[in-house]
Amino acid sequence: MYFVQVIVNGILLGSVYALLGVGMTMIFGIVKLTNLAHGEFVVLGAYLSTVLAPLLGIDPVLTLVFTVPLMFLTGFLLQYFLIGRAMKKGAEAALLVTFGLSIILQDGMLMIFTADARHIVASYSMMTVSVGALEVSVLHLVLFAISLVSILSLSAFLKYTHTGRAIRATADDSDAAALSGVNISKVYSIAMGIAMASAAVAGLCVGMKWTYYPSSGGSYLLIAFVVVVIGGMGSVPGTMVAGVLFGLAQVIGGANYGLLISYVMLLIVLVIRPKGIFGK
Amino acid sequence: MNKRLGKPVKVLDSLPLLIVCIAVVSSLYVVCFTGIASNNAMRYMIQIFLYITMGEMWNLLSGFTGMTSLGQQLYIGLAGYSVAVATTKLQHSLGVGLLLAVAVSVVVALLMSLLLFRMEGMYFSIATWVVAEAFEKLFLNWKYVEQGSGLTVRVVPYPKIFEICAFSLTVCVAAVAVVYILLRSRAGLGLTAMRDSITAASACGVNVFCHKLLVYVIAAAFTAVAAGVFFVNKGIVYPESGFGISWTVSMIFIVTIGGTGTVAGPIAGAVIYVFLQEFLAHYPGWSNIILGAVTILVIFFMPKGIMGTLQEKLGFEVFSAKRFSFAKHK
Repeated sequence: MYFVQVIVNGILLGSVYALLGVGMTMIFGIVKLTNLAHGEFVVLGAYLSTVLAPLLGIDPVLTLVFTVPLMFLTGFLLQYFLIGRAMKKGAEAALLVTFGLSIILQDGMLMIFTADARHIVASYSMMTVSVGALEVSVLHLVLFAISLVSILSLSAFLKYTHTGRAIRATADDSDAAALSGVNISKVYSIAMGIAMASAAVAGLCVGMKWTYYPSSGGSYLLIAFVVVVIGGMGSVPGTMVAGVLFGLAQVIGGANYGLLISYVMLLIVLVIRPKGIFGK
Repeated sequence: MNKRLGKPVKVLDSLPLLIVCIAVVSSLYVVCFTGIASNNAMRYMIQIFLYITMGEMWNLLSGFTGMTSLGQQLYIGLAGYSVAVATTKLQHSLGVGLLLAVAVSVVVALLMSLLLFRMEGMYFSIATWVVAEAFEKLFLNWKYVEQGSGLTVRVVPYPKIFEICAFSLTVCVAAVAVVYILLRSRAGLGLTAMRDSITAASACGVNVFCHKLLVYVIAAAFTAVAAGVFFVNKGIVYPESGFGISWTVSMIFIVTIGGTGTVAGPIAGAVIYVFLQEFLAHYPGWSNIILGAVTILVIFFMPKGIMGTLQEKLGFEVFSAKRFSFAKHK
């Protein structure tokens, strides 16, 4: 029974790890950019929800109504006016710009929110439900639902909408897409907006599950990296599988060895399949 | 030579440059040994020398070979722990500690090469970082090195500050010389060819694995020596301080500001970095914001860094890595 419990917890948490990776994989796959600021975007999302929930007196999950559009707009503008221009100077310049952004955001948040540990508390944070002999935390179920809905709606958006088709076309071949009338820099900006919106959702989830600091961005970036590379860059289903694998490693290895196991897992995947499990 | 390449750049690496270099280096030694400089000034000099060493090595990896590593802190952490174990735990001298640091780093670099060289570009960068993080987690759980509570570095007899300064200067001069000689050799041609296109280089008969290995091991060894001296100054090494990504942050900053792919770049970058950090210490909280803003501004307005831009504007090159140098067409 303990075994089933571990698997269930691993899968539920894995969805959160997958969500962390989705924003990263979008940028990798579409913009062809390594976004070193993704971790800070996640922490920013967490802070926005932490501040907004008591301010408006609403459940933390409902803050997404405000944080998601706000972060989407920020991502769009950042890509359009800053990162996009750096990309014209080459891939390395763009990478370094995101690196600059990440350290600016980190110290900016440190100044505004101080170095104290934060945590988003909801009324159901401590509740559990029993399913047969299984004890499942309500919080885990809520996080799982949020992550699943976000990832599935993102997949549907990419698959069925006009903009989604333009994004996929750009990911496949940006020159051909441009020739067919796709505005590439707008598509890149939308992709960055979506990545940042997903970071807002991921920020809420990690903030509800764990305590976080202004300096937590690096560890979230690393988790996102690991998940994305195991899954294969640019692959949303791969990211989901990798997220669950990562979650299982955390639950099985515990606080001491969880991350170590997943790092070793990543290195093994890279050696056997250097482009990730679902990579092309 | 021909019109397409533009006019040749004056390469200042002949006899006059050699004389200037020897003069500068020997006057720095004089400053170290005669006590003209105050202890405080020597502390800055030590930092500058060590950051130049690390910057040169990161530049060698990323700027000249195209191996953008985010994990050089692996060798910094290993060096810190090697020195700590050799001096505090085993009661040896600092020299033994530094030798151990180099030996451990070279062995780990050789082993890691088998794993890391299977990857290229982004995958390589991420894998190097993940390896460093994995080592951090390993040291956090390792009883012999006191887990998370860190290991003190107690060197007996503690070297005088001018000795550390002279030693750092030696390491720094050696690092610059090795990078310069390596790049001007046959191997250097192979390295820059690999950076520009790995497939084309391989097709032209460059042994990619051997060239990468050479550079990676040299970078690991020099980074380890510099880091060993750093931790003697700090007195204690933690898993987070040794294997932290902030080391790579500093190296990237130094190389970007100074000029990626120039030998003189990291020297300028390290001097600016050390003084900027000192200046920013008066404005707590702002330091990374300003470092980040400076990085972004440099990328937009001086994409070749300080030395790269100067070289283009003035038409000369200090320590040219190329045998022939041509100014870019305007």
